[in-house]
Amino acid sequence: MLLTCLLLIPFAGSLALLLWPGGPRPSRLRLITIAILVLQLGVSVAVALAFDTTQAGMQLQVRHAWVPGIGLDYALGVDGLSLPLVLINGALTLVSAVITRDIDKRPRIYFAMLLLISGAVNGAFLSENLLLFFLFYELELIPLWLLVSVWGGVNRAYAATKFLIFTAVSGMLILGAFLGLALLTGSVDFSLTPVLSDRLAMGGQLWLLGALLIGFGIKIPLVPLHNWLPDTHTQASTPVSVLLAGVLLKLGTYGMLRFGLQLFPEAWAKLAPVLAIWAAISVLYGSLAAIAQTDMKRMVAYSSVGHMGYVLLAAAAHTPVSMLGAVFQMVSHGLISALLFLLVGIVYRKTGTRDLEVLRGLLNPEKGLPFTGSLMIVAVMASAGLPGMAGFISEFLVFRGSIGVFPVATLLSMVGSGLTAVYFLLLVNRAFFGRLAITPPSADPVADGRLDVQLAPVAPRETIPAVALAAAVVVLGLVPSSLGRLSEVATTALAGITAIPGGLG
Amino acid sequence: MPIIPAELVQANLSIEREEVQRRLLAGETLLGESADHLVEVVDVLKSYGEVLDAYSINLIYQAEHQFLNPFPIFKYLDGDLNPAKIWRHLNHDRINFEYAEYCQKAMFWHATGGMDAYFDSEAFAANCRRIIAAKSRRDPLLAILNPLFPGFLPEMIRSAATTHALGQFWRVMSDLFLDLAAAEADGRVRSIAAVVEFIKNGLVAAAANPIEYGVQIGGEHFWVLPPEAGLTFLVDVAVPYVEAVFLRGMPFLGTVSFNAQAQQISPDQAQFTYGALYADPLPSMGSGIPPSLLMQDMYRHLPERLHQWYRERTRGEGDVRVKICMSFQKSMFCVTNAAINGTMPHPLDSTDPEARAANAAYAGAWAQRLGIARTDCLEA
Amino acid sequence: MFAPPLPLPIQLAWLLPLYGFSGMVLSLPWAAGWFKRNGPRPAAYLNLLVTLLAVAHSSLILQQVWILGPQHLEFPWFQAADLNLRIGFDLSLTNLAALELVTTMSLICQVFALGYMDKEWSLARFFALVGFFEGAMSGVVLSSNLFMSYFLLEMLTLSTYLLVGFWYAQPLVVTAARDAFLTKRVGDVLLLMGVVALSAWAGSMEFNDLYAWAAQAREQQLISPLAGTLLGLGLIAGPMGKCAQFPMHLWLDEAMEGPNPASILRNSVVVTCGAIVLMKLMPIVALSPLATQVLLAVGSISAVGGALVALAQVDLKRAFSYSTTSYLGLVFIAIALQLPGIALLLLFAHGLARALQFMGVGSIIATTNCQDLTELGGLGTRMPATSMAFLLGSAGLLGLLPLGGFWCMGLMVESLRFDAPLFALVFLLTNLLAAANVTRVYRSVFLGPVRPKTKRAPEVNWWMALPMVSLSVLVVLLPWIMQRIDPVPGIAAFPLPVGLAVAGSGLLGLVIGSLVRLDQFWSRSTQPTLRVLQDLLAYDFYTPEIYKRTIVFLVASLARLTRWFDITVIKGLVDGVGRLSLTTAEGLKFSISGQLQSYVLTVVMAIVLLLVSLQVWRGAL
Repeated sequence: MLLTCLLLIPFAGSLALLLWPGGPRPSRLRLITIAILVLQLGVSVAVALAFDTTQAGMQLQVRHAWVPGIGLDYALGVDGLSLPLVLINGALTLVSAVITRDIDKRPRIYFAMLLLISGAVNGAFLSENLLLFFLFYELELIPLWLLVSVWGGVNRAYAATKFLIFTAVSGMLILGAFLGLALLTGSVDFSLTPVLSDRLAMGGQLWLLGALLIGFGIKIPLVPLHNWLPDTHTQASTPVSVLLAGVLLKLGTYGMLRFGLQLFPEAWAKLAPVLAIWAAISVLYGSLAAIAQTDMKRMVAYSSVGHMGYVLLAAAAHTPVSMLGAVFQMVSHGLISALLFLLVGIVYRKTGTRDLEVLRGLLNPEKGLPFTGSLMIVAVMASAGLPGMAGFISEFLVFRGSIGVFPVATLLSMVGSGLTAVYFLLLVNRAFFGRLAITPPSADPVADGRLDVQLAPVAPRETIPAVALAAAVVVLGLVPSSLGRLSEVATTALAGITAIPGGLG
Repeated sequence: MPIIPAELVQANLSIEREEVQRRLLAGETLLGESADHLVEVVDVLKSYGEVLDAYSINLIYQAEHQFLNPFPIFKYLDGDLNPAKIWRHLNHDRINFEYAEYCQKAMFWHATGGMDAYFDSEAFAANCRRIIAAKSRRDPLLAILNPLFPGFLPEMIRSAATTHALGQFWRVMSDLFLDLAAAEADGRVRSIAAVVEFIKNGLVAAAANPIEYGVQIGGEHFWVLPPEAGLTFLVDVAVPYVEAVFLRGMPFLGTVSFNAQAQQISPDQAQFTYGALYADPLPSMGSGIPPSLLMQDMYRHLPERLHQWYRERTRGEGDVRVKICMSFQKSMFCVTNAAINGTMPHPLDSTDPEARAANAAYAGAWAQRLGIARTDCLEA
Repeated sequence: MFAPPLPLPIQLAWLLPLYGFSGMVLSLPWAAGWFKRNGPRPAAYLNLLVTLLAVAHSSLILQQVWILGPQHLEFPWFQAADLNLRIGFDLSLTNLAALELVTTMSLICQVFALGYMDKEWSLARFFALVGFFEGAMSGVVLSSNLFMSYFLLEMLTLSTYLLVGFWYAQPLVVTAARDAFLTKRVGDVLLLMGVVALSAWAGSMEFNDLYAWAAQAREQQLISPLAGTLLGLGLIAGPMGKCAQFPMHLWLDEAMEGPNPASILRNSVVVTCGAIVLMKLMPIVALSPLATQVLLAVGSISAVGGALVALAQVDLKRAFSYSTTSYLGLVFIAIALQLPGIALLLLFAHGLARALQFMGVGSIIATTNCQDLTELGGLGTRMPATSMAFLLGSAGLLGLLPLGGFWCMGLMVESLRFDAPLFALVFLLTNLLAAANVTRVYRSVFLGPVRPKTKRAPEVNWWMALPMVSLSVLVVLLPWIMQRIDPVPGIAAFPLPVGLAVAGSGLLGLVIGSLVRLDQFWSRSTQPTLRVLQDLLAYDFYTPEIYKRTIVFLVASLARLTRWFDITVIKGLVDGVGRLSLTTAEGLKFSISGQLQSYVLTVVMAIVLLLVSLQVWRGAL
């Protein structure tokens, strides 16, 4: 029942916003949305409280037959893998709504879409039925596409189209794999029962898993399927970027774990070495590409490509520690990338640019953005895996769990972790150190030193969401057992899935 | 490429050397004439005057009562040791006397002017010997240290003398700036030109004030700067002060690298341009910017009229101390302007070609130095 | 039978790192500028207070451990599957002595900083960072497991970055802070590789368990020689970075852009922390003979190379920061040759004396606004506390007068002269070069003619003078303290000839340093060969240039290549395919709603197709 609430609240809220009588002011709509999202987050927390951390399987299950003919059931459940993601979704959608300000274009639709996304993402994380998952997975795309194409930047049409094409292909591949599963096994059992060689020959398993990997690989995104991400991020508004990086990318990794590893454990074990190399390439490629960026937002976007690679590495190794690391990495990347996008958003709103060739000295205490800069230092250090923050323990778990299985890929990924420090230090030192200016350094340092810069101040309330996220990042980094307890049983079970009797054969 | 809104970044027009010289010779003020400028200059000088009053009292107290004290723990309390004052002191709810010492240090270190020349004289050395002998009788530590480090105590006495002289200088300036504020309040001063004239008159009136300094050791009085040294206000203190603080200054750790291999700092102090007329106001209150202390002190004494004026501009209260710094720079140009006018070799309306040439040369020398200062604050 | 409960101070030993961290937290309100009217000094006073508590607490524990013997405290932190990460404190006498050094130095430096930075408006931020620094260092020296050590070492890296970046608006700081972080980070990532591998292989991260595992691994060949070598190299990379050893010494030079009080801590206790971690790792590193050889080579190159580069510096701070690299090279040699006792004594002697020397340097800079040796001179008679600090600090480092450095060098040379005479020579040579360096700096700063920038140079204020005098006393008393720490065999356990050799090398250095014409140190020689050598040393063997042409170039080129590939190949491909296959979508760009409709249509059609196909297929069954 609780799980149904997690769908009902946002969907009903979305509908209510669309049908709200009269022409409510945008600020009013925002407050209503925030209220709905607080409620949703409250229910998510209630789910976490009701959750029994000692059980490995799905809990709080809801099951109703929907269209039995095609095997579509309304089957929801939550386990240690999905619960943290549901919580992150609740928190970050709320953050997105809170940081949405000055929305003048069709606010009603904007907030309704935000709620729709949140509900759909909850649905995707909670689905125990493949088709139901697919429905939610597709359902989330439309509003997101709208959010980019209506409320995006100058090149939003291009970015939105690209996003649409890529994700449509992703959806088709996933649907194709699910349908193929039904066709090849000859049953419309779309539950989460692992598909083993007694039901489907290895060749077929590999094909289906391959399709799923590419489908989810687009969403994560993995190199070379990542091309849509930087464009979409740069054109999306800050709240949408927060949502996209913090929550929606996790659909890809979640799908990969749930429907790749869990559904095709044997084929997964076969492909694992390839996946590990793929992960390492993604990590290095993302990090190197980030170094070459001058747009802060693009840099953060490429860092996502790199950091999501760790999840694939952990999944490829699928040891108990690495799987826990995967969950940690999903959560901490969700928090940290959301924080980074949020802060870049503040800089962009105040200065009108994100160009690192232009921004300088923003730490200036009186006329710059000192508090934003301080939070930015926290965020980039967390992203670079500095201890005491969420990124470190996540990366440590991933590396520690993977090194025994794939030593070379793990060591290469650790190099990627080192490169993170390179580009983020470039970002901080260029944009925040030095004398305040938002013009390219001129040849004449005297003239440069005489520029007067007028930036609008950052109101304290603008930084509250960032402070909350930064606090979460630090708390998770100092007390990781809070999340560990929630997920450990489930991830250990998931790691052991390839070892089930008759598994590897 | 990003489009940066023009109103976010702008550089004000700065005036060049020729224009500075022209204005000086034509009797125009360096700072542009405007109602806003008048409010800024008068009010910022009023708060500066109040701050200087505290600085001056403290420097004189330090020089007279903390003379050669190795542990002057309560040197900022002016001898008033009541618990409430100590608490406020610990809570840093006080004037930043450190900045006064910073100016003293700049003046002492740059070592220009008549007082500095007197420091190297035999008469001064004799004064020092007498004082050290008296001090050593009471303080065994000094009695040991002096023979081992013969330069130590004379240097400390020179430093104390500079402290006292600066205290006397600021006493005059504080009164002058507060008088100026009163004159503006009752309508006697209504323009920037009148402000410059007022300050010039004040300086000229005080020009010949004697600078003297003596200390009491065990009830006995010793001259450090005796009357017979003949040191006077304008030439021996005011001019070196302007040279050291307005013009040369000392490099800020927060903006200049001290790395010897980077060679960012000139080996010749006369080439320094780190003073108040050259400094960039934007990094005020940042790290490694000592004048931040002064801005904070003036912020605490800001007249309500100017405070309101600031609140209505740019970030309001948010960047008020940078705005104070900008106004302060304008007012310092006015003070410099007054000092130049007051020391001009001949009257500006003189028709004698020789006098005119001398004036032109004098104004030209100043223009040389001011032409590269932050003249961009003058017209804004 | 139950053991009596431990005394309260020992039970509360977990508080020790928290004092520093709490100082940071307490400073935040002022650092964040929440008090608009009042200044930042209360933050400094609060930091002093908690550091004072830390000193008192660590002294109490030291006293009790002296009586009760070493203690161990452990708390669980994170456990999952076979991974068990714990917080562990080893309260041994050596660790506590190191802690005492850390907290005392932190206290002295903070007092010094109040004087040195009295005109600093960002004082609260500085003290917050020093508190952070102190907390991390206290944890590192007490840590009983590798994970916690790594955790805190990385925090040290972060706080070094923030402290070097303290004057963030200064142009050279912008690059210096970045380079300091990245150089250390390279070492840290390599160390992390070692830590992760070790954690996977050995299970437990406790040093004692790791030693047992290492012994077992050696006997039973648990890991291949290659793996052992890589592990050893990874493990030494971290301390190499922290201790500024060749070729990762670059950051210490650049870190000199930071405030002097932070430089004092970095050159004395931070490098000590790095060396202590290496000492704890040494039994594991010893698995690989190659790693040990590398350690010896790095130590020797750093010792002699650092001393030579120091000789060629014109910058006051840098002349001694390279000397730090040089001394830590000696410590590395001692550790690699399995002489941890002497290494520790050398660390203590170096830490105290170097700090004192750097305080002297700080007060010279504060008085003269100058750190260029060519512009200094004649300060000696006017600055008693500073001259004494400089002289005693320098003497405490050298093997010349019977202060800390002399006894350490004597012990070291005695231990090496039969087994590894070459390294004994490295010690003597380093001593000679260091003595020459100190002498020439002393001459150019304190003796010689008064120069414009030193014409008016009064002694510094008491906030700076008092710590200098106190530390001078400590440095003089150090041999006595060393005797107490290490009573067997005693610090004088070497024969007279060894003592004479050490003192002789120091004396020779002193003579060279006082005879060489000062000009020769900085004006470029006209002789081509000499000039090449001079430049080579003055520019630190062109290490920054080598970095730029190798690693930086490599990463930058790869980054550019990736960007090119990303734009030309991948984006080109995507756009091309998009144009070819979705001309309709191109058309749809004109209307947003059109796009949406087509998408919804596609999805709906897909679902309908799915339903129909399934129904048909089921019907057919």
